[in-house]
Amino acid sequence: MNPRVETFRRFTARHIVNHWVMMIAFAGLVITGMPQKFAGEAWAKGIVLIMGGVERVRFVHHLLGTIMALQLVWHVLEGVWLHLVKRLGMPMVPRIADVKEFMQQIKFNIGMEKHPPRMDRYGFAEKLEYLALVWGTAMMVLTGLLLLYPVRWSSLFPGEVILAAKAAHGGEAILAFLSVLTWHVYFVHIRHWNTAIFTGKLDAESYAEEHPLELARLRRDEEPAPRPSEVWRVVVFVAITAVVIVAVAAFYWWLRTPGTTIWTIKVPGWS
Amino acid sequence: MESKHRTGAAYLLAVAAAILLGGQGLAADDGACLECHGSEQQVTDAAAAMDLKLSQERIEQLVRRAPQAGAPHAGISCLDCHPKAGEIPHPAGMLKESPCVTCHEDELKQVNKSTHRDPKGGNDLRAPCWACHRAHDVRAVKDPHSATSPFNIASRCLNCHDKREYLVGVHGHGVQLGGLDFAATCVSCHGGHDILAPSEAGSRVARRNISFTCGKCHGRVAEAYRESVHGAALTEQDNADVPTCVDCHEAHRTLDPLLPRFRLGSPEMCGRCHNNKAMMVKYKISTAVYDTYVADFHGTTAELFRAASPDQPLNKAVCYDCHGYHDVESVRAAGDKLIKERLLVKCQVCHPQATAAFLTAWTSHYQPSPTKYPLIYWVKVFYWLVIPGTIGFFLVYIALDVWGRRRHRRSS
Repeated sequence: MNPRVETFRRFTARHIVNHWVMMIAFAGLVITGMPQKFAGEAWAKGIVLIMGGVERVRFVHHLLGTIMALQLVWHVLEGVWLHLVKRLGMPMVPRIADVKEFMQQIKFNIGMEKHPPRMDRYGFAEKLEYLALVWGTAMMVLTGLLLLYPVRWSSLFPGEVILAAKAAHGGEAILAFLSVLTWHVYFVHIRHWNTAIFTGKLDAESYAEEHPLELARLRRDEEPAPRPSEVWRVVVFVAITAVVIVAVAAFYWWLRTPGTTIWTIKVPGWS
Repeated sequence: MESKHRTGAAYLLAVAAAILLGGQGLAADDGACLECHGSEQQVTDAAAAMDLKLSQERIEQLVRRAPQAGAPHAGISCLDCHPKAGEIPHPAGMLKESPCVTCHEDELKQVNKSTHRDPKGGNDLRAPCWACHRAHDVRAVKDPHSATSPFNIASRCLNCHDKREYLVGVHGHGVQLGGLDFAATCVSCHGGHDILAPSEAGSRVARRNISFTCGKCHGRVAEAYRESVHGAALTEQDNADVPTCVDCHEAHRTLDPLLPRFRLGSPEMCGRCHNNKAMMVKYKISTAVYDTYVADFHGTTAELFRAASPDQPLNKAVCYDCHGYHDVESVRAAGDKLIKERLLVKCQVCHPQATAAFLTAWTSHYQPSPTKYPLIYWVKVFYWLVIPGTIGFFLVYIALDVWGRRRHRRSS
C-alpha cells in the first residue's frame, strides 16, 4: 500500500479471523450444497466427481455447517462479552437513523438531495447484510439439523416440517448466495475495492465517504475509553457461557441418542 | 496361352476319365475328389489349370475335411451330398443344393415352419443347415466341439445376427468365461429349428411367452412376476405397456442384477415408463413418482452417487427396495393402511429407530400443493417470492447507486 495514504484501523484481528472463517465456510457450503440441491444437473455431477463422491461432499458440508453453527454460538457469546463485560455499544443494531440514511442515499442518488448521508461506523448496507447473515445462519443451522436427524425430529413434529425445512434450507441457500453475489460484491468489490476486512485498515478517503461520523471521532480522538469491567459482569458472562455450552451439548446429545441412519446395508453379493 | 489351355483340358479329361472308369466304386472312397480337393496345393493347381483366380480363403474352403472318425457323417462320401460333383467342371449353382434333406426330412419340415424357412416352402432355407451345423465337420449336438454346442453356438448365430452384446451379458459370460454349459445360449431362449421372430405369437420370445422362456431356468421369479401387477396385466389383458423380463434385464446385454451398476441404474429404468406421461395417463399413475424420488434424499444421493461411483454399492433406497421387483404390487390395490404397515418395515431396514411418525416425513411421491402437504408448498411459494423480491430490490438499489454516483462524479 502506498505509505503516503493515510489509513485508519477499522477492524481488529478478531474481526479479520471471524471473516476468514465465515468466508471459507460459506464458500465451501455453497460449493458442496448446490450440487445436492440441483442433483440432476451435469455441473452438479461434475462438482461431486471432482470432490470424490457424494459422501465426501456431504461430509465437508456437515463439517463446514458445524463450523458455521459454532461460529454463530461464538458470535453470540462474543457479543455478550463485549456488551456486558467490556461495556461497549452495539454498533450493528439497526436504528431509525439507518432507515433515514437509506432514504437520504436514494434521494441523493436520484438528485433530490444535495448531500449523501453521513454514516457512522456501520452504514445501512453493512447492517442489512449483517442481519441477513445472522438470521440466515441461524435459519440454515436449524433447518440443517432438521435434515440431519429426521428420525429424531419426527418424534416432536409432524414429518412434513422436516420436508418444509428441506425446502427452506434450499431456498435460503439460494437467497444467501445471490445476496452475497449482488449486495456484498457490489459494496465491497465494485463500489470500492475495500480490503479493510483483510488488512484491518481503511484509507482516509473511503472512510470519509462511507463512515464520516466515525472518522470525525477518530480524528478528534474521541472514542470513549472502555469502562472498567466489574466482577459481577464477568460472573454473569461465565454463567451464560456455561449455560450455552451445556445447552448445546445437551441438544447434540438429544439429537444423537436414538442413533443415526445405519451406514451400510448388506448388498447381496457384496459382503 | 495356347499351351496352358491345352494342359488344362488334358487335366480335366484325365480326371473325368478316372471318374468314369472308376464308377461308383471310386466315389465311395472319394479318391477322385481328392485329386483336386486333397490339399491346398492341389486346389491351387487345379484352379490354375482351369484358369481360375481363387482367394486364399476360398482355397482353404475347397480343401476336403474328413469327418472325424465316429462322427455322425463319417461314412458319407462327397458325392452323397454333392451328387452333381461327378460332372467336371462342376456345374454352376451346385453349392445351393440342400443335400441334408435327403436324410433329415423332419428337420426340414420344422425349419420350414420357423423364421428361417424357405419362403417357397422348398429347401432353399434362409439359414441353410450348414449355417448353424457347419458343412463338413458336422458333429453330434452333445459333442463339445460341435458347432451347436453351448460354447460354439453363439458364433454361428452371430455370423448373421449382430447381437454381440450377448457375449458381455451375464449369460454370455457364464457360457464363455464361466464354462457353464447350462447358462442360456441363443437357442435356449430362441429355440433351434422352430425359431420364430418375437413378433410372431408362437415365438418363445414373444411378449406373452418371455416369462415362461426365462422361467425354464428362473422358475420362481418368473412365477412371482406373472402374479405381479406387471405380469398379471400381460397374461390377463395382453397389456402392451407393462415390462416383461427383458424390458428391465435386457435380452442380450443382461446385466448381473447383483452388480451395483444395475442397482444404480434401476430408478432410470423404472422411470422409462413411470416418467412417461403419455403412458402413465392411461393408468392414472402419477409421473411425479420419478421426479419426487430424485428430488428426495434417497434419489438425490443415488443420482450423485451414480455420477461419481457407478460401480460401488449404494446404501440408499431405490425404487425396488420399497416396491419390490418381480412381485411389484399396485399401491392402490394394497390400500393405504397395509402400505403404511409394510413401509415402516422397509424404512426400519436402514433407519432402525423409525416410528410410524417418521413415515410422515415423506410425501408418498406427491408434489406438495395447497391441499397435499400445504406447509411445504407454502414454504416453496415463500421463497419463490422472497428470492426474486430481495435480489430484485438489491439490483434496483445498486443500479440507482451506480447511476447516482456517476452523475455526481461528472458534475463535481
